[in-house]
Amino acid sequence: MPELERMLTQLGDELAWPETPDLAANVASRLDEPAGRAERPARRARRQLGGLAGLRRTLVLATAGLLLLAGTVFAAAPGVRDAVLDFLGLQGATIERREQLPTPPPERPLDLGSRMTFDQATERLGFTPLVPQALGEPDRVYVRQGLPGGELSLAYRAGPGLPRARSTRLGALVGEFRGDLSPEFLGKLVGPDTTVERLTVDGDRAIWIEGAQHFLLYRGPDGRVVESSMRIAQNALLLEHGALLVRLEGAFDRERALVIARSLR
Amino acid sequence: MEDRPPHDEELVARAKRGERDAYEEIVRRHQQIAFRTAWVITGSAADAEEAAQDAFVKAYRALGRFREGAPLRPWLLTIVANEARNRVRAAGRRERLVLRVAEERRPGGAVPSPEAALLDFERRDELLAAVADLPENDRQAIACRYFLDLSEEETAAALGCPRGTVKSRLSRALGRLRERMEAADA
Repeated sequence: MPELERMLTQLGDELAWPETPDLAANVASRLDEPAGRAERPARRARRQLGGLAGLRRTLVLATAGLLLLAGTVFAAAPGVRDAVLDFLGLQGATIERREQLPTPPPERPLDLGSRMTFDQATERLGFTPLVPQALGEPDRVYVRQGLPGGELSLAYRAGPGLPRARSTRLGALVGEFRGDLSPEFLGKLVGPDTTVERLTVDGDRAIWIEGAQHFLLYRGPDGRVVESSMRIAQNALLLEHGALLVRLEGAFDRERALVIARSLR
Repeated sequence: MEDRPPHDEELVARAKRGERDAYEEIVRRHQQIAFRTAWVITGSAADAEEAAQDAFVKAYRALGRFREGAPLRPWLLTIVANEARNRVRAAGRRERLVLRVAEERRPGGAVPSPEAALLDFERRDELLAAVADLPENDRQAIACRYFLDLSEEETAAALGCPRGTVKSRLSRALGRLRERMEAADA
């Protein structure tokens, strides 16, 4: 080893490191925390979800969503079984950080379901749709069926203060669905260089995803990834708002996303 | 014959079967490197403790997905480093990492190696000052790779960047340190 590197290694031995706390005892006592109890086989957790439809947000549900993800994302990219680096979840969405992302899916037109008026959408959806007042009336409204309560998409054209996103070619895309009924519906797959940050937005749990390329995907009722749904996504804020999981996607920054999220009515 | 300590792989298999003792052993075995790595990233002992503790709890829950036969330490360090970075981001700022030499050279009464004894105090202090003046990213790379003696793969895991980036940061940082040491010798 060259002289300088040898000196650095020695220096490491001589540094005043802060004393390492005894983590083992604390960790051991925390393994029984509520979230830990959800470590039942995924199948059992999934069976339970059917009977828990009306249940409010619980840690158990959120964790069940995480557990179910494990097998399903691998199914999307069997060639890339690299180490899963981290998991984060909300009710309705899971984020998996991977050492390596699968090959980017081919670019396809967005499939947001059927286009309709906002009033028609309100009738069809199993929830009261929210509109971000900061963005005003959406330019297009879509509803996708196939999941309990349906999924609403509000599309906003790019314009001043709302740059066009490469992923959607829109200024903003707002998605809403019942996260409590489909706790594993939406998935994000991010690589090591993407920023993933937990936030609280007016008391709602949220996750901000920004930076390097990452993927968005959907899962069917059986928990399997709908491969055709996988696409490259731009910056996104995922937000648990009551029973809803709201997703804001665009080329905007975090501050702008927060303003938009706070204006949901 | 005395029992050899179990390998990580064996402990992981036992922990996956629900043996808590095995997981506690894993924590004990890796807590120092986990805590120190988190400290290098956060610059704060309190944040490092929280990050490392949360990471071990998270890792336990993710153990079922840990690839059999893969080395455990880089995987653990990745989770630790993510937790640590999340704390830095949430706080919106990072404590400045204060690196100094311990008063007693070898705590625990370990005998210094002959090489260590040869390390000139002045040169050592000069080197430490040079490391402290490095840009944040480069200093973290040096701290992980040399002070913590992490492998290149582990350093990449800890810094959340590809190995190529680690190599380039290290090479740049070493270049700067070399220049500074040469200037001091001149």
